[in-house]
Amino acid sequence: MTFISLQFLVFFMVVTLWYFRLKNQKGRIWLLLIASCYFYMSFIPEYILILGGTIVVDYFAGIQIEKSEGPSRRMWLILSIIANAGTLAVFKYYNFFIDNIHTGAHFFGKPLSLPLLQMALPIGLSFHTFQAMSYTIEVYRKNQPAERNFVVYALYVMFYPQLVAGPIERPQNVLPQLKEFRPYNWDNVKEGLARMLWGFFKKAVIADRLAMIVERTYGHTIETSSLALFAGAVFYSFQIYCDFSGYSDIALGAARVMNIKLMENFKQPYLATGMADFWSRWHISLSSWFRDYLYIPMGGNRKGEWRRKFNVLVVFLLSGLWHGANWTFVIWGLLHGLLVIILTRKLPARTKGKLYKAASVVVTFVLVTFLWIFFRSENIHVACDYIRQIFAFRTGSNYIGLNRAEIAFAVLMIAVMMYREKYMPAFLISNNKVFYLFVAFMVIVCYYLGVFVENQFIYFQF
Amino acid sequence: MMKKIFRDFFILFGLFTLWASTSRVAMQYVVNRRDVNTWWGSYQCLHGDLISMSYLDFVPVFRNAPVNIPPTRDPIGPKNTALYLYGDSYSWTVKKTDFPSIADFYFFNRDLPMRYHLDSTKRNVLILEISERMLRDVFQDSRIMNNVKDTLPRSRNRYAALFELKSLFNPLINQNLQCNLFNYNFIMPMFETKAALNYYLFNRASGDVVISDDRQFLFLRTTVSRTSTASSYIPIPDEDIDRLADTINKVYDHLIAAGFDEVYLAAIPNCATIMQPAGYNGLIPRLYNNPKLRIATIDAYTTFKNTTDVLYYHGDTHWNMEGERIWTNIVSDQLARGAMRYKQTSADTTTIHKP
Repeated sequence: MTFISLQFLVFFMVVTLWYFRLKNQKGRIWLLLIASCYFYMSFIPEYILILGGTIVVDYFAGIQIEKSEGPSRRMWLILSIIANAGTLAVFKYYNFFIDNIHTGAHFFGKPLSLPLLQMALPIGLSFHTFQAMSYTIEVYRKNQPAERNFVVYALYVMFYPQLVAGPIERPQNVLPQLKEFRPYNWDNVKEGLARMLWGFFKKAVIADRLAMIVERTYGHTIETSSLALFAGAVFYSFQIYCDFSGYSDIALGAARVMNIKLMENFKQPYLATGMADFWSRWHISLSSWFRDYLYIPMGGNRKGEWRRKFNVLVVFLLSGLWHGANWTFVIWGLLHGLLVIILTRKLPARTKGKLYKAASVVVTFVLVTFLWIFFRSENIHVACDYIRQIFAFRTGSNYIGLNRAEIAFAVLMIAVMMYREKYMPAFLISNNKVFYLFVAFMVIVCYYLGVFVENQFIYFQF
Repeated sequence: MMKKIFRDFFILFGLFTLWASTSRVAMQYVVNRRDVNTWWGSYQCLHGDLISMSYLDFVPVFRNAPVNIPPTRDPIGPKNTALYLYGDSYSWTVKKTDFPSIADFYFFNRDLPMRYHLDSTKRNVLILEISERMLRDVFQDSRIMNNVKDTLPRSRNRYAALFELKSLFNPLINQNLQCNLFNYNFIMPMFETKAALNYYLFNRASGDVVISDDRQFLFLRTTVSRTSTASSYIPIPDEDIDRLADTINKVYDHLIAAGFDEVYLAAIPNCATIMQPAGYNGLIPRLYNNPKLRIATIDAYTTFKNTTDVLYYHGDTHWNMEGERIWTNIVSDQLARGAMRYKQTSADTTTIHKP
C-alpha cells in the first residue's frame, strides 16, 4: 500500500477515526499495531515474519541489556546488532556479495556458480532495522529504559506512517508519545492534513511528472543532446527530493493528525551552501543516526584531523551502502564523503556575503546533481557514460519525454514548491475557512494536475 | 451526537469498502448487480481496456475497429488430443472450435490454481500461455508449478469464500476501490476533463497509459517503461535470460513428471514489441533461442513481426481477433505436427519431451 493510493486513503480514514473513537491508550496501541501489520502485509504478507523475528529479538535484548551489567550487557547489544545487521546482510547484501565473488572468480579464470537468494528485498528493511538498532543502543547507553510492553515496542518499530521509508525515529521521541493518551486536537488534525496534502502534491504533481523526463533521458542517453541530459539530471534532483520529502510530509502529517510528532527529515536541502550543510538538511534522521551511532563512537573529530577525515569517509561509505547493494551507491557515498572532506574549511568573514552564499548554493546543487547520477543509474558504466555524454557538449534530440507546455508547468511547480517551503514553512492554518479552502484547492490541484502512475516511492526500495 | 454518528458511519463505510474491494466473490456480486444504463451505473467502455483506463474515448483513432474473421479451419491429423490451456486474458476468448484437431479443451485462468485430471487414453498437452509483460515476473521463480495440481477442485463454501483471509491482501485492491468508489456514469465528466487536459495541453494520456510514437496505439506504461520488468525496452543481461530458461526448465520437468505428454511455452508479444519494434530488448527471441531452454515453444513473435496486418487493438493491451486467429492457427499446426510424432512414439511406448 503506497501513500498515493485509494487503499491508503480509505485505510487512513478508518484507522484515524477509529483511533479517536477509542477512549483508552491500550486499545489505541492495539489498533495501531494491527493497522500497521495490515499496512506492511499489503506489500508481501509473508515478510511480516522477518520483521516479527527481529522485533522479538530486540524486545528481549532490550530487557536483558537493562538487567545486565559488564560483558553480558555488551553481549546482548552485540546479539541485537547481529540480528538486525544479519537480517540486512542476508536479504539485502547476500546477492551483491555473491555476484562480486562470481565476477572475481571469472576474472581469475575460475568461474563459480554459488546459489543466489531468489526473493525480493523486504520493503523498508533498512529503515526498520536501523530504528530497531537505535532502540537497543539507547537502552545500552542508559538513555532509554527498556520497554516492557511488547505491543508498545512492536508498535515503535512498526508504526505505519514511518514503517517503510522513515523517518528513522529514536525511542526517546516516539515511545513516550505512544504510551501517553493524547486527546483529539483540531489544530493538530488541520496541521497534519495540510501537511499530507502538501506531500501528495509534491509526489503526484511534481515527482511523478519529473519521473517521465528522467526515465526518458536515462533511457535514451545515446540520441539525447548534452543539454537535455543535463536537464534530465537536474530534474532528477528535484524528482528524488519531491518523492522522498513528499513521502516524509505524508508520514509526518498522518502521525500529526493522531497527535504524534515525528522528527523532521528535510530542511530545504537544495539551499545548502556546502556539502556538509547539505547533509544537515537531507534525510536528517539517517544522517543523525550515522553521526550518533557511528561517527561519534569512532572518535568523531576528537582524534585529530586525519582521523576525522577517515571517520567521515567510513560513514559516507556505509551510508552509500545502506541505500543499496550496488557499487553505484558505494561510489555515490564515497564521493559525497570526499567532497565533504575537501570542501569543509573555514572561510574568512568577508567572503560570506550574499553573492558568495548564492554562488555556494549553486555550486553545491550542481555537485549534488552530478552525484545523483550515480544514485539513479543501474551501474557505474551507465553513470560514467551519462556524465561523459553531458560533457561531450554534443547536439542531438532535445526531447525529454514531455512537451514544452508540460516542461514549463513542471518548472513552475518546482518554483512554487521552493518558494512555499522557504517562505511559508508552517502547516497549521488557524482560520477554519481558509483551511477548508486550502483543502479543496489542493484536492483539485492534486487530482487534475497529478500524474497517477504506479510509481513506488524511490526510497521504498531501501 | 451527529459527529459521532458520522464518524461511526465512515468507519463502517471504509471497512465495508475495503472488504468489498478485496473479496473476489463480493466484487463479482457488485459487478453483476450494477445497472449500467442509469446515471449511477458503472462506466462501460467497450472500445478497449487502455481507452477505459485513460478515458480517451473521445479520440477516434484509438477506438477498436471490428475485424472480419475467416471461418474455422478443417481438422488436421488425428483427433486424440486433450488440450489444457493455462493462460491469461489473451486466451480468455479462445474456444475449443479454434483448434480443429483436438478432442477436449480446458482453459484455466492463471490467476487461479489449475486443478485438472488427466485422461490417460488421450494425448495430454499443456500450453503455458503467458503475455510477454508477465513472463519475467511469473518465472522469477518456479512457484507457478505449485499451482498446477492433478486433483479435482474442492467444492467451496460460498459464504466462507466471502471472508478468505488471503484475499485481504488482494493485489487488485486499488482497481477494485476505483471501481467501487468512482466508476459511475455521473462522475465520468470529471475523469474525461482530466484526460482531455492531458491530451490536448500536454499531448499525452493519463495514468498508466502511453501513446505510441506514431500516435496510433495506446500502450500500457509498464510495457514501454525502462524500469519495469514488463517492458519491451528495458535492457536484459544474458545472465537474466539464462536464469529465466533455468526456471522454466524446472517448471517443465515438474509438469512432465506430473503426467503431461507435452508442455509448450507460448509467450505473446507485447503490443509495443510488434507495433513499435525500435529498441526492442528481444526477450522472446532470445529466450526461445537460448540453448539452455528445453521446453517446446509456440512462436507467435516471428509470425507477428513478419506480417503487415494490424494484429493488436489500437486502444487495448490485447491482440485483436485476427491476432488471436493467427495464434490459434500456429498452435493447431504445432499440435498436429506433435500428434503425428506422438502417434509414432506411443506405438514404441516412448514419451517424447520435446517435439
